[in-house]
Amino acid sequence: MMRSASTLRRCALTLLAALLALAAGSSPRPAAAAGKTTLVLGVDISDARTFDPARQFEYSSPITMKAVYETLVTVSPGDYGTVKPLLAESWKLVDGGKAWEFKLRKGVKFASGNPLTAEDVKFSFERLAHVKDQPADLTENMGAIEVVDPQTVKIAMADKNQPLLTIFTSVSYAVVDAKAVMAQGGTSAKDAEKADKATAWLDTHSAGTGPYVLTGWTRNQEVVLERNKSYWRAPAAFEKVVLRHIGDGAAQVLAVRRGDIDAALNLSPDQLESLAKDANLKIVSAPSLDYMYMTLTSSADLNATLAKKPARQAVAAAIDYDGTIKGLMGGHAIRPATFIPIGLGGSTEALTKEIGYKQDLAKAKKLLAEAGVPNGFSFKLSYGKASIAGTSYDLVSQKIQSDLARVGIKAELDPMDQATLRTAYKEGKAQAVLTFWGPDAMEPYLWAQPSIGRVAKRVHWTPSKDIVDLVNRAGGEPDPKKAAALYREYERMLIDQANYLMLIQPVYRVATSKAITGYQLTAAGWQVDLYDVKPAK
Amino acid sequence: MGLRYVLLRVVASAAMAVAATLVVFLVAHTVPADPVLAQLGDKQSANPETVARFRARWGLDRPLHEQYGIFLARLARGDLGESIASRRPVLDDIRQYVPATIELATVAGFLTIVIGVPLGIAAAVRRDGWIDHVARFLCLIGVSAPTFWLAFIVLALFYGGLEIAPSPGRLDVGAGAPPHVTGMFVVDGILAGDWASARNALAHLVLPSVVLAAATIGIVTRTTRAAMLETLGQDYVRTARAKGVAERGVVRRHAFPNALVPVLTLAGLAYAELLAGTVLTETIFSWPGLGRYTYQSALAVDFPAIMGVTLLVALMYLAINLAVDVAYLVVDPRVARR
Amino acid sequence: MLGVAGAVIILAWGAVAALAPRIAPHSPLQVDVLARLKPPSAEHLFGTDSLGRDVLSRVVLGARVSLPAGLVVVLLAAAFGTLYGGVAAYAGAKVEEVQMRVTDLFLSFPPLLLAMAIAAALGKGVLNTIVAMAIVWWPKYARLARSLVLVQRSLEYVEAARGLGQGGGRTLLRHIVPNAIGPVVALVALDVGNGMITFAGLSFLGLGVVPPTPEWGAMVSEGQVLIEQWWVSTFPGLAIFSVVMGFNFLGDALRDWLDPRG
Repeated sequence: MMRSASTLRRCALTLLAALLALAAGSSPRPAAAAGKTTLVLGVDISDARTFDPARQFEYSSPITMKAVYETLVTVSPGDYGTVKPLLAESWKLVDGGKAWEFKLRKGVKFASGNPLTAEDVKFSFERLAHVKDQPADLTENMGAIEVVDPQTVKIAMADKNQPLLTIFTSVSYAVVDAKAVMAQGGTSAKDAEKADKATAWLDTHSAGTGPYVLTGWTRNQEVVLERNKSYWRAPAAFEKVVLRHIGDGAAQVLAVRRGDIDAALNLSPDQLESLAKDANLKIVSAPSLDYMYMTLTSSADLNATLAKKPARQAVAAAIDYDGTIKGLMGGHAIRPATFIPIGLGGSTEALTKEIGYKQDLAKAKKLLAEAGVPNGFSFKLSYGKASIAGTSYDLVSQKIQSDLARVGIKAELDPMDQATLRTAYKEGKAQAVLTFWGPDAMEPYLWAQPSIGRVAKRVHWTPSKDIVDLVNRAGGEPDPKKAAALYREYERMLIDQANYLMLIQPVYRVATSKAITGYQLTAAGWQVDLYDVKPAK
Repeated sequence: MGLRYVLLRVVASAAMAVAATLVVFLVAHTVPADPVLAQLGDKQSANPETVARFRARWGLDRPLHEQYGIFLARLARGDLGESIASRRPVLDDIRQYVPATIELATVAGFLTIVIGVPLGIAAAVRRDGWIDHVARFLCLIGVSAPTFWLAFIVLALFYGGLEIAPSPGRLDVGAGAPPHVTGMFVVDGILAGDWASARNALAHLVLPSVVLAAATIGIVTRTTRAAMLETLGQDYVRTARAKGVAERGVVRRHAFPNALVPVLTLAGLAYAELLAGTVLTETIFSWPGLGRYTYQSALAVDFPAIMGVTLLVALMYLAINLAVDVAYLVVDPRVARR
Repeated sequence: MLGVAGAVIILAWGAVAALAPRIAPHSPLQVDVLARLKPPSAEHLFGTDSLGRDVLSRVVLGARVSLPAGLVVVLLAAAFGTLYGGVAAYAGAKVEEVQMRVTDLFLSFPPLLLAMAIAAALGKGVLNTIVAMAIVWWPKYARLARSLVLVQRSLEYVEAARGLGQGGGRTLLRHIVPNAIGPVVALVALDVGNGMITFAGLSFLGLGVVPPTPEWGAMVSEGQVLIEQWWVSTFPGLAIFSVVMGFNFLGDALRDWLDPRG
């Protein structure tokens, strides 16, 4: 028997040694390799479902879209109100303000070598509208498209009092190579919803003018981009870019520390804290336009007390906003006054200080008395199991619960899976919800309008005609300053109404290797412009 | 229990897998979540026309019995429909995720057997000796350590610290997969003579399979030990000993075969469980496997994907249980009575 | 000897659960975000969690949920599954065939979906979660018990006992159960920890306990995103480990006690 035990031990040791030897045989680190010709991002791309501009509407995919496609106009980080040229050199309102006319940049070629023309713009935008997938809703205000000459395109507005130019900055309005896409079965005709067959090809190839071209995509594994050799500006800095799927933050920490990836995109505040001391890494940050907010219903059928305005205002006055941001986000977040995020439509941190909610427990008690519930009341707070900038709704909801308890308000937490939550919320069946808002395009009206439209319906609030008029006037106002003044008045009314409490507008942070520079985060939907990223000298 | 019985079981299994899809179909429709509202953006889901169009695209606007009928009709043609979440045929999804899982589960299952069974036997034979205590301790850790914790520790140690293990994922960054034959990269690499790929893929399998095996080794070791203790105490074993059969022979020829039946049962169940995928290990090792796919499909109420996965997982469980039942005969013919 | 140690561990946890509110040094619900993630100290022996709550107090109070949840699920499933599988193996061929195919059917459902549906149909809550878990848990025991009984009933002494005119039920109880129970007990002893972790794993569906009620599995997974703050998940993890160890020792002692030849 002793012999068999030692045989066993020998076998076990041999097996272990074999495993270790095998594991050790991995190849050198691509991210740190000499000459720095490949850029590797560690990112959760499990949400990616297509790279067809007419269909893509996900969270992580715009990083890729922005690298391989370009739009007529764009915005830069931190200055989302100013529209800047990209494929269009200039533009002007024509036909009495009913249409925009764009002059295209000369000498721009697609990666295929085909020159960019007004026909490509018309094809791309009509295809976006007619494929009728998710982003098609962004074409609501787009009218007829007319090719004036090969370098000029005119796009009508369905309603001249509603925004369109700012919406053209969205990656959904990418200009695609019409010839290349048609060769793969693409069409922009009215029946494109059924007739278009180009998506499968566009998922692993690109047909754009951007600095990189898409050369491969394996779901939940990686996206591979290569340099576009015929790019119209200086060629991109890297021969190859790999978006490597690493679904777990802790694993991203290990990978970026080791130098296997140049940037780790999905880290929690505490994980970033642990990387702050690493001499090879740098943490870059930028405020986002995303935010987490809480809704309170106005429906007496759902909660008779919440339906009373003073009760909702009492909730608003009891929350420790600063403590939540400081404690749970490590201070890396800001908070808008109400539905328009800081950075757009005149919304600033100063404005929040001036007109936004503040914690004031005495006021909360007074309001509770006014609502006829001096000893407090209870309501159900629903949320999904997810997180924003690495901080879970679970934590935020428990913090709010403990804040409200101080004035006798009892928030019964009701966690559920996201699909059930979204269904309950969108159908207006929840008393209070903790949820998230992200940008469609850099246009404040796209926030203000839903707050008095579809979102108001979900909280069973019927906005007055005054506030509706106000928002419509602001939406059609071409002067950003005047629009901001109108939005401010709307914001005051919304705050008094107390159906929406904004909690956290995170400052997004990414850990990057010091081997690269120019990694500038942006809130403009695409998170980062890979063209700007270069090897460090 | 002859060939006829096995054939009958195969046919019954197929029927049962379909029955399972019916139950799951009915059960899934009791969940108060609407896949279209959950998938569509905020604005689109407020547009009744868009919502109606997407409902129609997946036939969700039809009565339940019709929806299930359509599923069956498609199934007969070997089509599982289009996933609501990934927007591609469920079969394509499964074709990508299943080989990744089979590869991982098989290596983990292999480790479980070659480590767990001998360890369990040794622990039983040398009961209360050092090997028994060490084995017990390791099993307890393997079973009670939370998977993600174990996964992170081994990753931090062998990948982050010692730098001897490769990055999370199935292959190195930017390394292309070998030509597709089975979708299992190790096998495909060998078939194509692409040794670098095969080796690369195998190296990436080591850590996740060790983590997965940790829990199953614990269970197999402890039940092997318990089953061996039962048989070692049996009269016929004592008789064999009294007759002067050497201890090794007693263990191998008399005690072990009888202990093997329950061990096989549990090992079969454990392998089937591994094949169904494991969400946490797949997440930490960025392994594109069936566990996460099932999890995401369930959370998105992605009916076509849920049905496809149910069918597949049901077939795997049924096949493995059948194989185990047949194996009883090989191991211990006395168990058979038909 | 080990059996005594196991009993002591389990009884100690039982006492902790019973006296939890008196033992806990702090309120397990006291949120203080400015004192979050403090390492173990004299004030907070096990440190504080992401909301600044005392981890020791939460581990102590957590025993009240986790112990019964893990135990009830596994014992319920093991008792039903073992009986079911044992009867199947001992009954006639036809009955066995039908019984085992039913087991197969239960094994082939995706457990996650079943749990979601039960939450939707029965409503949330600890009891419903336990029911949902037991439903997916028992078939494993049924298959194991059947395999054990199949082996036993083919052995000579059982044939002999039957030949002597002993009834089926009597043979099952007197001869088969004591000889076959070992692996079942071994599995149960390991499964209790698994039960506690799975119970917590369902919390993202809103099943199990709702925050902020402390519970070990949920505490362990809260620590999942933390890298440097090892104490948040380690202490509840050790609690689970000690319980599994206790049951394991007890299980071995029980097996020895049941062994007719021991």
